[in-house]
Amino acid sequence: MSQILEQIATGIIGGDIQGVEKLVQKALDEGQEAETILQNGLIVGMAEVGKRFKAAQMFIPEVLRAAKSMHGGQELLRPLLAGDKAGRAGKIVIGTVQGDLHDIGKNLVGMLCEGAGFEVVDLGFDAPPDKFTEAIKTHQPDIVAMSALLTTTMRAMGYTLKAIEEAGLRDKVKVMVGGAPVDAEFAERIGADGYGHNAVSGAEVARNLIEAG
Amino acid sequence: MRANYRVNSGVRFEVLSKDQLQEMFDGVLHVMDKIGLDVHHDRAREILAGAGARVEGKRVQIPPHVVKRSLATAPRSFTIYARDGNPAHDIHIGPGRSHFGPGPTPPNFIDIETLERRPYVRDDARIVATVCDALPNIDFCESLGTISDVHTDLAASYEFATMFPKTSKPIVAWSYGWDDSNDIHQIAVAEAGGQEAFEKRPNYVHYCEPLSPLVSTFEAVDKVIFAAEHGVPVIFTTCALAGGTAPVTPAGIIIQTTAESFMGLVLSQTIRPGLPFFMGGVLSVMDMSAMILTYGAPELSLMMAGATELAHYCGIPLWQTGGCTDSKCLDEQASLEGSLSVFFSALSGGDLCHDVGYTESGMTGSILQTVMMDEAIGYSRRICRGIEVNEETLAVDVIQDVGPDGHYLYHDHTMRHFKTEFWYPNLCDRRNFEEWDADGQKPMRDRVVERTREIAATHEPSPVRPETEKAIAEIMEAAEERVKDKS
Repeated sequence: MSQILEQIATGIIGGDIQGVEKLVQKALDEGQEAETILQNGLIVGMAEVGKRFKAAQMFIPEVLRAAKSMHGGQELLRPLLAGDKAGRAGKIVIGTVQGDLHDIGKNLVGMLCEGAGFEVVDLGFDAPPDKFTEAIKTHQPDIVAMSALLTTTMRAMGYTLKAIEEAGLRDKVKVMVGGAPVDAEFAERIGADGYGHNAVSGAEVARNLIEAG
Repeated sequence: MRANYRVNSGVRFEVLSKDQLQEMFDGVLHVMDKIGLDVHHDRAREILAGAGARVEGKRVQIPPHVVKRSLATAPRSFTIYARDGNPAHDIHIGPGRSHFGPGPTPPNFIDIETLERRPYVRDDARIVATVCDALPNIDFCESLGTISDVHTDLAASYEFATMFPKTSKPIVAWSYGWDDSNDIHQIAVAEAGGQEAFEKRPNYVHYCEPLSPLVSTFEAVDKVIFAAEHGVPVIFTTCALAGGTAPVTPAGIIIQTTAESFMGLVLSQTIRPGLPFFMGGVLSVMDMSAMILTYGAPELSLMMAGATELAHYCGIPLWQTGGCTDSKCLDEQASLEGSLSVFFSALSGGDLCHDVGYTESGMTGSILQTVMMDEAIGYSRRICRGIEVNEETLAVDVIQDVGPDGHYLYHDHTMRHFKTEFWYPNLCDRRNFEEWDADGQKPMRDRVVERTREIAATHEPSPVRPETEKAIAEIMEAAEERVKDKS
């Protein structure tokens, strides 16, 4: 691996948001292929971050900064990458469902998915079912992710899923759910495709849903 | 005579100096005045504007003099009454008095027979109330769960309706909004003998939870308005995560959560000056590996102690937190985390300490944990009572009486004091090895389970009046009618 790609990977691990962008630009100026920078620089760094987080050597704020550095670098490469997805893992529409203003968990999942290469469309909190269906029509995502913290607002996930079905959009997207009171049994009962028990597993579930097609 | 002689009647413990407290109070006033909070409730914003707040869109900024006026009308000392008139179950809020009880709303519960974790059901509310009624060191009752086997909108109404007849200790009531708050209030008023009688002797406390950072949600504010209009003592408490939804530093999170709580203070005192109000906060850290709100962190106890001192500096009581754990079962971690936080809470003199019996970071309620913590609270209370120093306790004459090579077992002085000076455990085993061995070598957790099952099976709480029984049935029937068409 060339020295600059190594520096990019190190920059990702250190969460150096501006530094990574500068290094990616420098690598491009030096004539490196966008695909090479992505695969041998950015992704190498992020893979190491994942490993270190699992080994409890890195913590969430560090992972999030690494993810943001990754995202910044990717945005620079995006116009130069081949293929219809342009280096993206996929597109996610994410939101905290109607009646619920709690969004720290949803934000975490969104940030981690961005770091994992997803394009993330954030609907914010207190998002009614039609906001989700409209967003599916407008953004044509691969995945819709819903979050709730309260046992009362949890029900709105079921209502939203129903609205997606009624709008004839259910077969166009995978649906994943999460939030403190949500469990796998609830996810299955309302007919979701995936459930994450915390933010990191949420990002993993998103990746698995894409891989499973 | 003695001149200028100072007495400490308890153990002294302080985290913050007067100067530090004033700096933090100034920080709170600054946040409320210059940053402001979002209040998602039209009528609340109107009321606050009428009190002198600046309102722009949802944002409400409250100038210092309005906050101070509300602090001046909120009482430091008052009584929450036992529904049956039993003075031993009254709670006197005031300086130097810590009270303990469970917490609200975990989705799961540890079944006291199978010891398995499962969804919380209606009968668990009966068990929790019955056991809390019997435990000597538990002063108020909360459910330790959200009832899953009734209509979702009626979980809080059924919770109160189930607990109220099973304990005469004051209940801290949790609810979703106006309608179920009203169900709860009607039950309490039926027992009190009418609204006027209730206002003279309030027999429950209402719990409202806004959102960090700096958001007063519609439901939380609606419930404060309900409580203020009906004369119900009220708690306005956020559950902030340091590093996530609040600053990572203890001083920062205390300032933010106090400002969040003061929004409820100003609203309640504007509607009903003098209404008993508890400043809140579950202040803990977001674990940066596990991504949970930790209930067993040392920072929780430290930050809660700081918040307690700030509340008392401002002249209002605090809703404390302790006796909780991140452990998934009744084990050494549960005992260590629970006991230390209970002790810290007792030392700091937080007025109502809740979450005694929270396990798995607030995801699972365990009355077994509450029973184990009852022991830790008794232990802590003995330490906090301190050392009494007077002619009688100095016992110099007794030492002279006994002299070298004697013993104190026959002495009147020993007889007079050994029952009150010493604390006697219910669960900690002090017997010798042979006795413990002959009794089956039971570890603490087995003794906790045995005691819990025995209390749940045998304790008879004082009943509610027959009229109240009838009122509860009618109120719940009307509540079912109200929600029958909602899925």
